[in-house]
Amino acid sequence: MTPIQYLLIGAIGFSATLYFLRLRSRKRDRLVVLFVSFLACACVLMPDWTTRAAQIVGVGRGADLAFYVSIVALGLMNVVLLSRVREIRLQLTELARRHAIDRSSLPQRQDRVP
Amino acid sequence: MNQDSGVFIVVPAFNEAASIGATLDQLSTTGHQIVVVDDGSTDATPSILSRFTQIHRLRHPINLGQGAALQTGMTYALEQGAGFIVHFDADGQHRAADIERLLEPLFADEADAVLGSRFLVAEHRQRVPPMRRCVLQAARVVNYLLSGLWLTDAHNGLRALARRAAEAVRLQENGYGHATEILIQLARAKMRIVERPTCVLYTDYARAKGQSTFNAVHILLDLCLGRLLR
Repeated sequence: MTPIQYLLIGAIGFSATLYFLRLRSRKRDRLVVLFVSFLACACVLMPDWTTRAAQIVGVGRGADLAFYVSIVALGLMNVVLLSRVREIRLQLTELARRHAIDRSSLPQRQDRVP
Repeated sequence: MNQDSGVFIVVPAFNEAASIGATLDQLSTTGHQIVVVDDGSTDATPSILSRFTQIHRLRHPINLGQGAALQTGMTYALEQGAGFIVHFDADGQHRAADIERLLEPLFADEADAVLGSRFLVAEHRQRVPPMRRCVLQAARVVNYLLSGLWLTDAHNGLRALARRAAEAVRLQENGYGHATEILIQLARAKMRIVERPTCVLYTDYARAKGQSTFNAVHILLDLCLGRLLR
């Protein structure tokens, strides 16, 4: 193994460990992360595989295929994150709304106004 | 104040210390119930509001945006039994005198929602700055593409809704995108929509507080994103 392979495997392992230890995600998401981590490790350890896959899909170089896949994956991750942020914003808005309504102050009765 | 009119005027306010007093002074002459939603103001707005004892006061703990404040006001008004709900901006660009004109078709049951338009009367149209006019024309097209409603104006904050129309609206766009979202929801619920002339006063303050032209791009992005991620 080359030094860069050690470095990349370490980074993938660190990210995956952090994900499993810190985030209480759904089982489906955990499986996806586990699968992607294994796939990433395989690509790092066996670069010939990506080259072969690249030739099958007509890209040519394995590095190019990895680059294109990364761009698509980044875009998908962005959409998932935006969707989560939106969901949280809606929940926060609803919470703030209920808080505001529950603590509303009604008009004082006319006969109490000096 | 007429407690039985069933009309609730919802005024969203965020840092409107310079104008909220005058706005509420003119609204108090209408005889309708006034609901002010302070959207987490950090200026003197809350203390000014506390001087008005004849209004319903609500306050968001944090600033959420005009759309969120309007929805809070509408939800509250519906819970209070409102028959009609009017949206009115706090920055002094609307005239309280226009409210009755908006309510007439609702009282006569000729419409479920009445939208103010600054382009129905030449005198009102001439008040609109040229650049704003261009942006509003583009916004009309966007509104048509998204809601199917071809209107004479866009993003006019003065509108009146019958109870059934207000119940059909559930704003999720917290920012200025709510003005288009409300049209989409009203159209989807097959509400009867008409326009009535209203005058928009472009004071220096209202222009400074209002949406910038660049904001229109943001609104469009928000709306597209909202539809995609719904």
